[in-house]
Amino acid sequence: MSRPGDIQTPPAVELHDLTVAYHKKPVLWDIDLAIPEGEMVGIIGPNGAGKSTLIKAVLGLVPAATGWVRVFGESYASRRREVGYVPQRESVDWDFPVSALDVVLMGTYGRLGWCRRPGAAERKQALGALERVGMQDFARRQISQLSGGQQQRVFLARALAQNARLYLMDEPFAGVDAATETAIVNVLRDLKQQGRTLLVVHHDLQTVEGYFDRVVLVNLRLVAAGPTREVFTRDNLLATYGGRLTILDQAAETVRRFEDWLPQTGAEPPHSAARAAAPQRLLSPPGAPPPAQPQHGAAPQAARRPPGENHALP
Amino acid sequence: MPFLEYNTAIVLGGTTLLGFASGVIGVLGLLRRRALLGDALAHATLPGICLAFLLFGRQFGALLFGALVTGIAGVALVALLSRYTRIKEDANIGIVLSVFFGGGLALSTYIQKNSVDAAQAGINGFILGRTAGMVQADLIFICTAAVAVCFVVLLFYKEFKLLCFDPDFAAVEGWPVVRLDFLLMLLLAVTVVIGLPAVGIVLMVAMLIVPPAAARFWVAGLAPMMWLAGAFGALTGAAGSLTSTYAADLPAGPVIVLCGSALFLISLLFAPRRGILARARDRRRWRKRRAIRGFLRILYEASEAALPERAALPIADLLGRFPGRAREAEALVAHAARAGWLERAESEERAALRRSAPRAAAAAEGDDAVRLTAAGLQKAAEAARIHRLWQHYLRTSAHIDRDIVDPDAEEIESILPRAVLAQLEEDLKNAGTLPGGGAPVRALAGLPRELAT
Repeated sequence: MSRPGDIQTPPAVELHDLTVAYHKKPVLWDIDLAIPEGEMVGIIGPNGAGKSTLIKAVLGLVPAATGWVRVFGESYASRRREVGYVPQRESVDWDFPVSALDVVLMGTYGRLGWCRRPGAAERKQALGALERVGMQDFARRQISQLSGGQQQRVFLARALAQNARLYLMDEPFAGVDAATETAIVNVLRDLKQQGRTLLVVHHDLQTVEGYFDRVVLVNLRLVAAGPTREVFTRDNLLATYGGRLTILDQAAETVRRFEDWLPQTGAEPPHSAARAAAPQRLLSPPGAPPPAQPQHGAAPQAARRPPGENHALP
Repeated sequence: MPFLEYNTAIVLGGTTLLGFASGVIGVLGLLRRRALLGDALAHATLPGICLAFLLFGRQFGALLFGALVTGIAGVALVALLSRYTRIKEDANIGIVLSVFFGGGLALSTYIQKNSVDAAQAGINGFILGRTAGMVQADLIFICTAAVAVCFVVLLFYKEFKLLCFDPDFAAVEGWPVVRLDFLLMLLLAVTVVIGLPAVGIVLMVAMLIVPPAAARFWVAGLAPMMWLAGAFGALTGAAGSLTSTYAADLPAGPVIVLCGSALFLISLLFAPRRGILARARDRRRWRKRRAIRGFLRILYEASEAALPERAALPIADLLGRFPGRAREAEALVAHAARAGWLERAESEERAALRRSAPRAAAAAEGDDAVRLTAAGLQKAAEAARIHRLWQHYLRTSAHIDRDIVDPDAEEIESILPRAVLAQLEEDLKNAGTLPGGGAPVRALAGLPRELAT
């Protein structure tokens, strides 16, 4: 795991002083962040907080107004073969005339280069990716005939076909059925086991502690980032969601129920002890665990460090 | 005279090939949502044609080159306006289309007044399309361009497919999206320009949109869609040019568009699955299935109080519970009886009447009640169970994921997490409203012990 000043293993993703603006209105402001390699990291925040924009800024899909992004210590452009992307499901037209296999094959296009068509090897790889998400029987199916959850799994399979070291995923769990949620979680855990890094935009507070080793809390600015057990606290969530307590209470109420079904997903979830303590901790009075209190509305952890030095996740 | 004169044969070949190319490239234009931009492009060619005529006279190649230049300029202007102003693209398309076309019309009027040679034929032919004036060299030019367009599409098929489906993903993967878009636009422009002499400015966009839109009704893959759109385009092109040649003064453009419209109409109505008739049939079937499930639930609710005895249900009572029209309810009773879910029965009043006054009872015709069969009870209980579970889920947990709620899904087990489902069933069981008498449900198999108990 990388620390500030550690140059041997650059973080998988590093953002410095990143500001993104649409028509002069900032959507992400002054983000300093480093994601260590091999972790499963959730990006959490309310609607419109800039979660997707954060991912798109890493991928170069939205231009940075200031600051820079590095992937494995270099520019994104020189490392793009090592990055896989799962966009939001709504970002494409699912009535497009292609089959599930066609979509997954698109994950191999980058390696193929200009004008070469996918051959038997790519086909085999794509079918393997479909099998990993439990969709092998739907390879020939036209994508408009798939359910929302199945479409999401096809998108994940396409990212698997990219065979990347770093995966950026935009809301892969939004509006999916139980079978899909289980299938996706299992795949993500597999990827983590293989040492891949996962940066996942997530909207469902109830499942955060079960899924992610680390979280990044954003709402225009970076509120906090670090190991879930330290950072996913009531105070930080209050700072992120601006006191919308109902959401937190819903979270506390459902965390228990959710954890009960989690073990069936197969792999033993990490931080079981932390998860078991989750509901109590969520409801504990402020000040108990180390919360990152925002001072001036800027990224609090970065503010405490000397200027110019990036802060890694603790 | 042979059936086809030599020149007619060439015109026929040219328009067929042109139709094929515009069908193929039109598929990409349609999927990349550039259909209206094609219209702006076509209209923006007129000033170019006129300027080229003023500069070089009636030289086919020069006219087409002029058309290409202002056509692309028009599209570029739409892109610039959309990027640097707050005006939306559709408005920009309207602005560019009308300004360029208006300017072109003014120029062509000027040419007609000041030029003595066959100017009128040269320019006006471009507006509505006219194949008669073409010579062999023109047609060879058109054919070459059409083949070239198809070849480029074939070469970059994979890249265009990705661009049209998911341009963001293409950009992330390092494909030059802007340049690919420009190439696609250029191919559209070339196709439009070579189509102008035959089809005309006003209706050229139909050649780009109608064959692909018709093809989409029949096929589900990109390559098949391109082939079929190409075939539709070729067919309309051939039909249009033949009609235009033999039916004297009819311009080719409108004829071609009418032929295309006929193909489109047939596709719209009769295509399996996506056609209007097929969809109406599907919707009817879905409604019927829904009505049956609703009716089964009503049967269960009517029988519920007397369970495990299967009570006789007076038909009048059932009709009263049914929310729709009485005729529908009667049809549903008949359907359930045919399916073996209902058997004839006698209501208690009738039974009492028969005991006290047998003759009066016999005079009342037919049975006045039904009873669920064992199989029917099973079906009805399942329908009621799913309905109540969804209802309970919506009441208690819908803030978790509203998107996955599907009250018509037969298999609630495959949609909801098992523990959530178990909790819902537990709640219903405690309330005494779980259909099936609280027997262990399928979903509980394989649950951790503390949850299953």
